[in-house]
Amino acid sequence: MNIEAKLGLDVFKIDTEPHILIDHEICQVKCEIRYCLSICPAELYTLDPQDKVQVNFEGCLECGACFIACQHEALAWHYPRAGYGVQYRFG
Amino acid sequence: MEKVEFVVVGAGLSGLATALVLAEAGAEVLVVERGDYPGSKNVTGGRLYLGPVRSYLPDLWEEAPLERRVVKERLTMMAPGSSITAELSSERFRNPPFPSYTLLHATFDRWFADQASARGAMVISGYKVDDVLQKDGKVIGIVSSGDEIHADAVVAADGALSFMAEKTGLLKPRAAKNYAVAAKEIIELPPHVIEDRFGVENDEGTAQLFFGSLTAGIHGGGFLYTNQASLSLGLVLAIQDLMDKSGPNLSNEESAFSPHNLLEAFKDRSEIRPLIADGHSVEYSAHIIPEGGFRALPRLFTDGMLIVGDAAGFTLNLGVTVRGMDLALVSGVLAARALLRARERADFSSASLSYYETLIKESFIWEDLKTFQHMPDFLSNPRIYERYPSMACDLLEQILWVGEGTKEKLSTTILRTVRQNLFRISVLRDLFTMRKI
Amino acid sequence: MNIIVCMKQVIDLEQIRIKPNTREPVTKGLPLLFGDFEKCALEEAVRIQEKHGGKVTALAVGSPKLKDTIKEALAIGADEAIILTDPMFNDSDAMGSARVIAKAIHKIGEYDLILLGDSSADEYSGEIPPRIAELLDLPQVGFARELEILEGNDQGTNTKTIRAVRDLEDALEVVELDLPAVVGVTSELNTPRLAPLSAILKAGRKPLNEWGPEDIGITADEVGANASVVEVLSNLAPVQDRKEIIYEDVEEGVAEVVKALLQEGVLTQ
Repeated sequence: MNIEAKLGLDVFKIDTEPHILIDHEICQVKCEIRYCLSICPAELYTLDPQDKVQVNFEGCLECGACFIACQHEALAWHYPRAGYGVQYRFG
Repeated sequence: MEKVEFVVVGAGLSGLATALVLAEAGAEVLVVERGDYPGSKNVTGGRLYLGPVRSYLPDLWEEAPLERRVVKERLTMMAPGSSITAELSSERFRNPPFPSYTLLHATFDRWFADQASARGAMVISGYKVDDVLQKDGKVIGIVSSGDEIHADAVVAADGALSFMAEKTGLLKPRAAKNYAVAAKEIIELPPHVIEDRFGVENDEGTAQLFFGSLTAGIHGGGFLYTNQASLSLGLVLAIQDLMDKSGPNLSNEESAFSPHNLLEAFKDRSEIRPLIADGHSVEYSAHIIPEGGFRALPRLFTDGMLIVGDAAGFTLNLGVTVRGMDLALVSGVLAARALLRARERADFSSASLSYYETLIKESFIWEDLKTFQHMPDFLSNPRIYERYPSMACDLLEQILWVGEGTKEKLSTTILRTVRQNLFRISVLRDLFTMRKI
Repeated sequence: MNIIVCMKQVIDLEQIRIKPNTREPVTKGLPLLFGDFEKCALEEAVRIQEKHGGKVTALAVGSPKLKDTIKEALAIGADEAIILTDPMFNDSDAMGSARVIAKAIHKIGEYDLILLGDSSADEYSGEIPPRIAELLDLPQVGFARELEILEGNDQGTNTKTIRAVRDLEDALEVVELDLPAVVGVTSELNTPRLAPLSAILKAGRKPLNEWGPEDIGITADEVGANASVVEVLSNLAPVQDRKEIIYEDVEEGVAEVVKALLQEGVLTQ
């Protein structure tokens, strides 16, 4: 089962504002490994052709792993606003 | 500006337990939950140990929407192509009081919130607490979308990522080594199929934990719990180990060590495939788990605020038993008791609320966390996940294998394995560490 | 201006999932909330009250969970709430529900305007506004996307009418009704406000009345499953027929997809 199909199982109420912001200056200059790319269970982090990390916040499971793994405080990570984000039906 | 006696941030098990006990004693308590309903943002592996909880929260469990009582415990040690499973089936587990139950948060937490509401608590979902109101270093309330709610005391029950604890300086900077990430799938199967496949009767269930090659040397393991009409199947992985295995700019497709890829490989194991066959995946969830144990515990109180449950890091992973929800419930009850005492004295200062820490220290939470404080070190040993499971599985495979030709003496096989694998300094060291757990 | 807003508790539609083998929607145990239409009706009532004074009463029929849900209506601005949660009302058809609502409105007595969602988000039958208008013998209008209260004077007595802009998809119709009247609204009417947390707390102190069948004078032969004349034969998700053609070559794939879209009339040259 691929990750898109898995995320398709969940209920996401999608906000217009992202709840994860990347400070690209810190990310590009200071971070060599980019742990976020492989640690996210929803695989939402990708590297664009300009070597910038991009995040697709819409499928966020709100687990917090990227926030813990980011060693340079390049992520401004908040929970989504009330009424938005993943809503687990089973949990 | 509105004022209530107590505000609890987060309608998970710890927050709701706090609210329930406070409300039952006649205190005015508001629980603020950011999800659409209690449980909508919560993730559990799936099992609640009720044994430690019953004396703190009696008369609650008869009607509780628990999934199945666990009557069979399985522990599976995995090598790359083989595994050994130990199964405990015990009459003791089959007779009341039942020690543990599987559960699903979205169902259970809503019911639990109703119990708290029925006792007078106000549980309001769909509102996020954005900030802690502080005055002269004392917590005096919360802020939600610019709206201030004042309170005599606030309870931070906002989970493993507690921003409440962070904002009040109780939580030290988060070290990756103190956290694991769990990824879980819910797979639907008809109840009779579950009962057939796992060899249990109506309302009975199993809990199965896995360790070994499935986590590719990463400190962690797998779990499989039977719910009423679904299975909870997942992996827990230490974040620091995942990071150490990660190469620069490795995309998730390339990385064998991404939680999703490891979970898919786990699902594809021959031990798992027949158990989930014809099941429909209906949910994918993930969450971090505080696994730092005793040595990573934050300060539990400050002027006007207490921390409970995952926010306080109350989890206990012994590899063979994984606990969190029972500690969450009991810490919630203890927080409520401390707050009620403070209420009697009309004193919510740090000195008064330190009684919460006293109660925690007198309870099994502190004792157990202390007893097993070396567990995180022991479990971070990669040999537990790679060498030892492989050795045990290979040995048993050689003993049980009957092929062409002659078979050597069992003692020869065993001695060779022991000589090849166990006559090492590292093994002595591991045995020495084991003494501490 | 005394306004009654009828609010229906519906399941959170985004939470519905379809059983893959049977195509049945799973609706059991889903969280209940007010639909967008009723939130718009309430918002409009509060806005009219802010301009013209009077009282807003929220009226709702549903499960015991309404005691929680209704707080949102009180927090947004209703002055009082009346909920009808007796199990006798369960599984009513539209006629049964309309009877309950009409009888409750009759008991409230003093009103100038009844606002409600034109349809409910879950069943979308659109029957309730005309049915209660008929039962109460009031003028009725549906699909209202704009409302305005007009105060006039007719030979010395103050008169009130309501002007409604009806959304008929291809056209907008403007109608005027004498009050009291029943108005079914669409979600284009306004953007409902969000109640702050403190307002939800305050809502707990506003009057909340729970009425049973005897309070409104209704019997089991008028309402509930027994009185229902509508039988639901099936409720299944449509079969999704996907062609599932996979093109290995991008150039060829794009050309084929464009051709297919032209054929289907999705694209025009």
